[in-house]
Amino acid sequence: MSGLIRSQLDERRRSLLAWGLPLGLMSALVVAIYPSVQDALATAIREYPPALKEAFGIGELSTVEQYLEAEMLSLIVPLAAGYLAVRSVASGLSGAAESGRLDVLLSAPLSRRRLVASGFAATAIELASVLAVALALTLAGSLLAGAGLSVGSSLAGFANVWPLALLFAGLGVVVTGWSLRTSVVTGSVAGVLVAMYVADLVGRLDPGLDWIRYASVFRYYGRAIEDGVDPVAFAGVTAVAVALAALGAALFERRDISV
Amino acid sequence: MAGPAPGERAAAIETDGLTKFYGRERGIENVTFSVEAGEVFGFLGPNGAGKTTTIRTLLDLLHPTRGSARVFGLDSGRDSVAIRARIGNLPGDFGYGRAASGREALSLLARLRGVGLDRAEELARRFGADLERPLGKLSRGNRQKVGLITALFHRPDLLIFDEPTSGLDPLMQEEFLALVGEERERGCAVFVSSHELDEVERVCDRVGIIRGGRLIAVERVVDLLRRTRRKAAVEFAAPVDPAALRAIPGVADLTAENDRVTFSVGGDVDAVVKEIARHPVADFQLAHPTLEEVFLTYYVEERR
Repeated sequence: MSGLIRSQLDERRRSLLAWGLPLGLMSALVVAIYPSVQDALATAIREYPPALKEAFGIGELSTVEQYLEAEMLSLIVPLAAGYLAVRSVASGLSGAAESGRLDVLLSAPLSRRRLVASGFAATAIELASVLAVALALTLAGSLLAGAGLSVGSSLAGFANVWPLALLFAGLGVVVTGWSLRTSVVTGSVAGVLVAMYVADLVGRLDPGLDWIRYASVFRYYGRAIEDGVDPVAFAGVTAVAVALAALGAALFERRDISV
Repeated sequence: MAGPAPGERAAAIETDGLTKFYGRERGIENVTFSVEAGEVFGFLGPNGAGKTTTIRTLLDLLHPTRGSARVFGLDSGRDSVAIRARIGNLPGDFGYGRAASGREALSLLARLRGVGLDRAEELARRFGADLERPLGKLSRGNRQKVGLITALFHRPDLLIFDEPTSGLDPLMQEEFLALVGEERERGCAVFVSSHELDEVERVCDRVGIIRGGRLIAVERVVDLLRRTRRKAAVEFAAPVDPAALRAIPGVADLTAENDRVTFSVGGDVDAVVKEIARHPVADFQLAHPTLEEVFLTYYVEERR
């Protein structure tokens, strides 16, 4: 299976630049400007309604970690990584079906489960690599600007995005069990990604609707850059992602390969 | 369907009432045939007849609605991984994404099959295939050459070709037909789908004719051609009395105008050729039957 994973990673080398570079540069910019806007921010944030601060995870913004969390890790990085995850898994399955590659691979002695498992594993590695590039650039930005970003905290913050994004890859595999059209897979899962984010936001804004957050993986996302990674949530979300991929593999095995 | 008895060699392909519906739309229905080891079997039909559906069902890319298919005695669904270890397949329009080169595709397939690339290199030289350029930058014909190599490089026991010569230039088509002959000599069974009667006639031992998802005949190629009416035109050196030609069994629709006689002939042409040879001949044409003419032959028989 390693050959199959390596081959898929070779094809996705560009995503390190296409996704890791912009996310990393944006984060680097955020931490780099923090020292110069720190005081003005503290004043402005004090004026924000508490519910709004809670909903968007703004907090007090009295540290560069809190600022990075509010600007990048609470919204942009998880949404981008979630979308990358489903796009990646879709390119390995539905994209391969559309290009004819799936016919060629499945003419070889390769089971469909193995094919799905390798695609999911390649996505997991790709996600980790993109997040690592983004983290490295962020730390470089902090170093250059003297922002004093904690390596351990930022590592926790970026690492915590990985299981969340992987869950959407698992969901993508499930949808592939029904449709081999890339637009259907990425469109539907991206819709779920946004819906889950909004559900979590609404639940946090209105305590009466807190129950709705249980339908969203963002409930278990937390603020790892400030509080550290919750190992139970990390392992739980990862396990759900793997379970979804396994369910998707079973559905994929039963379906016809025709676009 | 029971497997082969002990000591008995399993057929390369054996289908029994193979049926595939896409929802309510029929793909194929009750398709039953067999292909023996070392046999080249043509699967002839117009576009949309069910040729590709049959192939994709054999490869377990499609799950049959009813019926079964066995390859080397193994169930096409349950044992598909073991089956695919022994087959080479060329889809109608070979694709592998745009970015990967032929060499990258072949390297991965070689790893999956646990073989080297020696024969792939040899075939690439023979076909003049470019393994280094991204497949998305190759013409359809050159991509098809790479596809041929992916089907052949591991020396399979069964080759499945879906419209293999589409996109290939005439020289490459000749090379392909020669190669099929070599594979047969090696003992490999070959299943070729095509809508070109000429191609099937040149290379196949037997042929299955499919139309509208139903297999309407399985024949030896020589028998198929014998049963099919062909158009003949003879230009004699001088006017002749066509009565003797008209009297030959199988000759019909005869018209004579000056030195030129045209007619259709079904069955054996030996008597026709001998009768014509009794006179000085300026020109003689025996037109190859078209696919539609072949189908017509079988439809007429079905209706009787």
